[in-house]
Amino acid sequence: MNQEVQTIEQAEAPGGRIADDWLIAYAAGNLSEAKSTLVATHASYHPELLDKIRDAESVAGALMGATDKAELSDGFFDRLMDTIDAQEGDASEVIDLSKKPSAVNPDIPQPLADYLNGDLEDVKWRFMGPGMKQAKLWTGENGEKLWLLKAKGGTEIPEHGHNGSEMTLVLKGSYHVNGQKFGVGDLEIASDEIEDHRPMIDDGEDCFCLVVTEAPIKLKSLMARAVQPFIGL
Amino acid sequence: MYSNAQAAIEDSTDVLTPTTVQCFPRTEEKKRSTVRKGLSISVSTPETLEALAVKVATERDRVAFKQLFAHFAPRIKSFILKQKVSDEVAEDLTQEVMVTVWQKAHLFDPQKARLSTWLVRIARNKFIDKVRRQKYIEVDVDNHMQSMEASEKTDVPVIQMQDQTRIVSALKILKPELRQVIELSFYQEMSHSQISAELGLPLGTVKSRIRIAFQKLRVELGEY
Repeated sequence: MNQEVQTIEQAEAPGGRIADDWLIAYAAGNLSEAKSTLVATHASYHPELLDKIRDAESVAGALMGATDKAELSDGFFDRLMDTIDAQEGDASEVIDLSKKPSAVNPDIPQPLADYLNGDLEDVKWRFMGPGMKQAKLWTGENGEKLWLLKAKGGTEIPEHGHNGSEMTLVLKGSYHVNGQKFGVGDLEIASDEIEDHRPMIDDGEDCFCLVVTEAPIKLKSLMARAVQPFIGL
Repeated sequence: MYSNAQAAIEDSTDVLTPTTVQCFPRTEEKKRSTVRKGLSISVSTPETLEALAVKVATERDRVAFKQLFAHFAPRIKSFILKQKVSDEVAEDLTQEVMVTVWQKAHLFDPQKARLSTWLVRIARNKFIDKVRRQKYIEVDVDNHMQSMEASEKTDVPVIQMQDQTRIVSALKILKPELRQVIELSFYQEMSHSQISAELGLPLGTVKSRIRIAFQKLRVELGEY
């Protein structure tokens, strides 16, 4: 069973835009929950990225449509119709299916609104440091995390290098790091090896970011060793 | 594995009619003309798969649904089997995809997307939900403004760029080493490091091949 997905080490985002190979990985289903949420949200800011995802999904569709037919087990269609009829009989199921997608939120892109089932006010913010709050959204295997950062204008995010690789998408406000500015819709990729990574939140409004963090390589190998006897790697 | 994928593309021409109706299976075509034999009206062009989906949505038409099933269910199963899951899991997922088609056909817009594109998204999300037990958030790529403008700019309607015959021919003329990385990405859902291990190529080469292949495909599809 193939469950290996892309790691941040393999990501590039020249000029704050994710590279095409990751848009293809998104279309093909090769990203984790955290990274697919981040890429879908990032693409929402940039029509040219949406076009590329659409094209990649069309390629996937064409490949599926052109694939050889597999043999279906006997009675497959009848069982399918029985399932459909059984579910149609269930009124609650019907209501649930007619449920409208969540309302359009002007502040954040639809994919993130769908994921949060709300907006930035609906998450549980916790103190992270002076001028900083965080809201954890998801933790995956190997210590991968999806979380939101809220930082006051003028805050310097303390040195947190060697803390694993990071992908940061700006949702509101902006920051500078190593002379480069990241504004709304921009994506920054900071690899594990990067030294002296101290983003400076620009003065003014609060800065909100959606962040994916992978556990540091050291920790990852520790975890791999811990589970090694069980998964037989 | 790769040769299978390649064979699938070669085969595809057999199931596609060369006319504007790309995906209609011939057997169904025959069946329909028999049904209409007694009528004096001329038999119109066979319905596209997209039109069948609209019938399912608006008329809850079970005959149309069965035709869609006959065309897509064995292909969806085949596509899912390439992810190295058991036959049982592949059938369960195929059933779930087809149940979703019946229940959510009204959400499919034939003006915006090909049915195969819509189905492959459903199949992808079901697979990740059931096998990987994770959420896969969708982004609406069919309804943004620039998408419409871009199609005017290049004189190629978006829906035509998604045409299966067109995409399959575009894949065919790619250099084999470029087609290979695209197929491994989509068929096996391989991560780039898995492809790199599979082919014995540096990761950077895999990534750049994927990018070049995608760019060439988009040129072929009239995106540029």
